[in-house]
Amino acid sequence: MSSDGSTQTAEATGARCLLCSIGCPVRATGAGPDHYIPDYVPRAGYVGLCGRGSVLVELVDHPERLLEVRRGEEALATAEAAARIADALRGGSSSAIILDGNTDIDTVATVGRFAADVGARWTLYLPPGDAGLVHGLDTSESYFIGPEKLAEADAMLVIGNVFATHPVVSHWVFEARSARRQMPLLLVGDPATATAKFATAVYQPTLAAGAAARAVAAIRTGETTGLADGAILAGWKDVLASAKKPAIVVGAEMGYADARALGAEVAALAPEVRATVCPLTAYGAAWGALRAGAAAGGMCPMELFSNPPDVLCVIGADLESAWGASAMAAVSGADLLYVGPMPNRLIARASLVAPAAFAFETAGRALLGPDRLIRFEPLMAPPAGVPTVREILRMAGAPADAKGDVSAPCSGPEMPAAGEAEPGEGICLAPAADPIHFDDGSLTGRASWPQSVRARPVLLMAQSDAEAAGVGDAQTAIIEGPGGSATADVVVSEAHRAGQARVSAAFAEVRDVFGWTWDGAKPGTPVCVTVRKAQ
Amino acid sequence: MAEQATAESVERRVVLDLDRCIECKSCMAACYYGHGRMAGVEFVDIGPAVLPIVCRQCGDPACVEVCPAGAMLRDERGVVARGIFSCRGCGSCARACPFGVLSLEMVGHQIAKCDLCEDRVERGLDPRCVAVCPTGALRFATVEEIEADGLTVLGGRVAGDHPIRRR
Repeated sequence: MSSDGSTQTAEATGARCLLCSIGCPVRATGAGPDHYIPDYVPRAGYVGLCGRGSVLVELVDHPERLLEVRRGEEALATAEAAARIADALRGGSSSAIILDGNTDIDTVATVGRFAADVGARWTLYLPPGDAGLVHGLDTSESYFIGPEKLAEADAMLVIGNVFATHPVVSHWVFEARSARRQMPLLLVGDPATATAKFATAVYQPTLAAGAAARAVAAIRTGETTGLADGAILAGWKDVLASAKKPAIVVGAEMGYADARALGAEVAALAPEVRATVCPLTAYGAAWGALRAGAAAGGMCPMELFSNPPDVLCVIGADLESAWGASAMAAVSGADLLYVGPMPNRLIARASLVAPAAFAFETAGRALLGPDRLIRFEPLMAPPAGVPTVREILRMAGAPADAKGDVSAPCSGPEMPAAGEAEPGEGICLAPAADPIHFDDGSLTGRASWPQSVRARPVLLMAQSDAEAAGVGDAQTAIIEGPGGSATADVVVSEAHRAGQARVSAAFAEVRDVFGWTWDGAKPGTPVCVTVRKAQ
Repeated sequence: MAEQATAESVERRVVLDLDRCIECKSCMAACYYGHGRMAGVEFVDIGPAVLPIVCRQCGDPACVEVCPAGAMLRDERGVVARGIFSCRGCGSCARACPFGVLSLEMVGHQIAKCDLCEDRVERGLDPRCVAVCPTGALRFATVEEIEADGLTVLGGRVAGDHPIRRR
């Protein structure tokens, strides 16, 4: 294989949705001025396009889209802005670039080359769960498959509420079950989920950080001491081992350290039961970005934040939504330059704002999973001639020929072990998968459909906890945690353990409740909160 | 003179396989973006599950009966549809619908109403909600086709006979 990974088979396709690692084909058709209708592209083995995929077309012509370069009140040409970005980074004593990782691998490589040229450190933003899962699995000897191969499985172990985070994967799960009616579907996850509705056996981990990884370890070793309700897992290994084509489907909802441990445990279990592994990431391009980033000299975000920059160029990411208010505090003294398609909480503090195309408005390559390199085309042309990130960087002096290298598996840094929720009064709260909003909500949170369906986060809690808090099903509650408060709609479920609740984390204010910081362990770690009825 | 279309003119309907819905709301999103940002698919919480509901194309539709503007009508295909220019957004149909499938869209002052994706069906395509359903839970089929697959159709008689009236 060549050093740039170009000899890997890249499947040439049309536009792809990169909002998760399924990578569904998608197209948009015009329906009047500035209005487009989404459609999936019938393609062998694929069917459907989840609600999040449909949101893409709204983002293209979103009324809040950034269209003009601004430096304070001053309007600039893109070339001038690009030059100013390069000058500012070169002039800083500790310059840095943060790139949103849901982008094509050649853009990642271009940023790496540009950062080296201007003497800046750089890192990627990826959902911590994605980064941990990739790093836990990528250097293993596991045999990976894409989701379409799940249709051939005759036994499945599913970890997490994957029907919520990756609705289209359910298509191949149902295909497998249609062919083999008695197919065991073993779930490590919450019972009050759509995924659990179809499972033949469910093990509910506690909300403690790392509980899912410990459950997978218990399946492999048979050692369930100290694991709540661990007896349920007895025999699961035999079920998988006795199947002809067992598969493990894994998605990560928790933080980096949890997800990395989970990936490592899956990698240990898979060969023992001869199972293939289907990893699912929230960012479709996560796998390729991490590999290309490692090859291009990107560093761990924790390392970057431990030595805050004095000049920071953020490309596409919403630091405050992604890493919480603490990330903004860490860079509060920096001269902030923002390049991206949509406004976010950063731009009020940015000295320069330059519009750029979404990743799905460019042509490029993405690695959706090991051996799943695709070449994708733009969904639509960006409005008002907005340039791509690569075009802006080229104007700033970056090389035009940078090619992302995704040939080598990568393993990330060791992080502090995830902790338990700090003891305290109230209910233990953890994040939940959200079938409507995407990840931190910085994309879909601005679209009208997710807002009309679910404008507020949902708080899932047990009946006894709801009664104690004085709230009922479908009522509105206020959650108060160590980092802030949020308003949520209550859903009471008997399937939830008393004292443990989940809330959809795809809202910036919910992330503030958790008070997470980027230290590797905290994103995803449960916290103790109080809940009361909203007046 | 062309024969008056009836409920029986609608051969194929949107039906839901209760064993396949994963509550992802893909159908709702596809409908929303395909119909001027108004969804004709609603979701209802029935306790054990949250399920999509679409217009049942009643034989004696209460929404048509109560509409003061004559905006709700059975079109030449037999589909109960809404005339977008006649609708005043009064909400009478939403209140009259015994199945709760119509919602009052306050922003547009119009009622979101399933029209069985006329623009797609006339080209031989499935309605959007069916086309995007990742699990195959939603199907666009005749009762005979569903029953040929060994499935039981629930609610078909209810839709045809319209036994529920509100005062």
